[in-house]
Amino acid sequence: MGRILMKGNEAIAVAAIRGGIDAFFGYPITPQNEIPEYLSKHLLANGKAFVQAESEVAAINMVYGAAGAGARVMTSSSSPGIALKQEGISYLCGAQLPAVIVSVMRGGPGLGGIQPSQADYYQATRGGGNGDYNLIVFGPETIQETVDIMKEAFAIADQYRNPVLVLVDGLIGQMMESIDLDRPVKERNLPPKDYATTGTRNHPGRHIINSLYLDPLELENHNKKLQQKYALVKAQETRYETVDLEDADYVIVAYGTMARIVRSAMETLKKLGIKVGMIRPITIWPYPEAAFDLIKADCKGILCTEMSAGQMLDDVLIANNGRHKVAFYGRMGGMVPDPEEIVAAIKNFSDWVVK
Amino acid sequence: MKRITFLTGYYGSGKTEIALNLALAKKVDYLVDLDVINPYFRSREAEKMLSKNGTVCISSDLENGAYADLPYLSKKIFLPFREADTRSIFDLGGNDLGARIMRQFDEEDKADVDLFLVVNVFREETKDEASIIRVIREIEGASGFKVTGIINNTNLLKETTYDEIYFGEAIISEVAKKCDIPIAFTSIYEEIHDPEKKVAGEPLILKLYFRKSWY
Repeated sequence: MGRILMKGNEAIAVAAIRGGIDAFFGYPITPQNEIPEYLSKHLLANGKAFVQAESEVAAINMVYGAAGAGARVMTSSSSPGIALKQEGISYLCGAQLPAVIVSVMRGGPGLGGIQPSQADYYQATRGGGNGDYNLIVFGPETIQETVDIMKEAFAIADQYRNPVLVLVDGLIGQMMESIDLDRPVKERNLPPKDYATTGTRNHPGRHIINSLYLDPLELENHNKKLQQKYALVKAQETRYETVDLEDADYVIVAYGTMARIVRSAMETLKKLGIKVGMIRPITIWPYPEAAFDLIKADCKGILCTEMSAGQMLDDVLIANNGRHKVAFYGRMGGMVPDPEEIVAAIKNFSDWVVK
Repeated sequence: MKRITFLTGYYGSGKTEIALNLALAKKVDYLVDLDVINPYFRSREAEKMLSKNGTVCISSDLENGAYADLPYLSKKIFLPFREADTRSIFDLGGNDLGARIMRQFDEEDKADVDLFLVVNVFREETKDEASIIRVIREIEGASGFKVTGIINNTNLLKETTYDEIYFGEAIISEVAKKCDIPIAFTSIYEEIHDPEKKVAGEPLILKLYFRKSWY
């Protein structure tokens, strides 16, 4: 029997080990505490590094240091904790350092609450750090998908020398699911870490990890290089799933936990004779705009659903590009909608149209 | 099952669903939620449903205690010991850490108390005989109470069949023999329950209260 039962946070930790993690730096916060708890036990027992830092700010700077030395590094936190890490995340992008960041979202703003939420979509895709940078952001739907992505995340970060953010809500962190840890992961040809500061005995001359470019032309050229990299990520790593999209009269867009609710709502809608399909972004940056080209021309409308006030809605509007009517239905603050609410929003589509 | 039954186990073993189902099946007076470890899926979230069925839920009596992860419990948790004509189930937090909270009942009469270990062998930390025995020892050490029964809660959620239940039973029976602790209950989802199929201990037909249809 290959399947075992795991809590989401625990599965994230196990998958990080499978993905080759060398070091974890973090600071506790609900609802993601089982990640550092598990890693504290298992990393130290296997000669890897685990540090509970004095704060989130310290943790992300430890990530910067260890990533600069060539290690596979990870940190995890929840909404206000990820907010504290934003400066370090921008620096990681500027210095082109690979790292894996796990964000287990809870209700906000501020301290908010500890119930599940998706209100950090902007934080993940628009960033709170400075400068023209992007994270490669995954928004998995199940614990199995989270595990598969976590196993691959370190390699993706290494390939592009850029942080990868795995964005889940507290429900995925806290719920149990039966999973298979041994599903195969895409093989990647990874470049050597010729930037790593491993000591002058190991490489000729000094290696410097840096994001400071005082000469504006030099900084612009550095930015051009970053933008080329992001274009490559868009071309190579964009992922999404479509469900019954071809002849759908209504298309629902949802990621993460919301997609699970939408699947259940779709069953009910089909029984009512309503042709409904789903676009489920798996990467939320890069956003799968191409999926929207698959929607039929006479589609009656697109419903964007979130456990937030309408953040992904921006990307839906950009991807839709004025072609179809777009409606929005969301809950906030840790409230998780029932499938019946989505059914009602489709039935009364015109009440929820935003554009 | 004695007058007062504590449920313990590794975290994620299914203690809370078992606690709710046992409380309803046995119509106990109190369900005491001692879980100060988990932020979600705690017995206290079922308070209304329990009270409709005549069971009082005791947990944190702070305002919004159901939505906070504060290590705070009501002093009412001692009521079951004071009221000799009542029956109660205590739902502990996971692991030895969750069981440590039982130390505050050190002075109470232990003759009235059962401590049942909930086991799912598809959880990494209780996957075989040796690891289950280790968990029993850790929990007994932390709690100061002896484990007096095991509940076979082996499952893979929706994918569970009797094959999984019997797979767990085989491992847990060995533990029961070695430690001389009986299997008190075997849990079976109501969807797959077949009264013709025998299981160790009393069958506990399980309804999942925390699992939404779309999980």
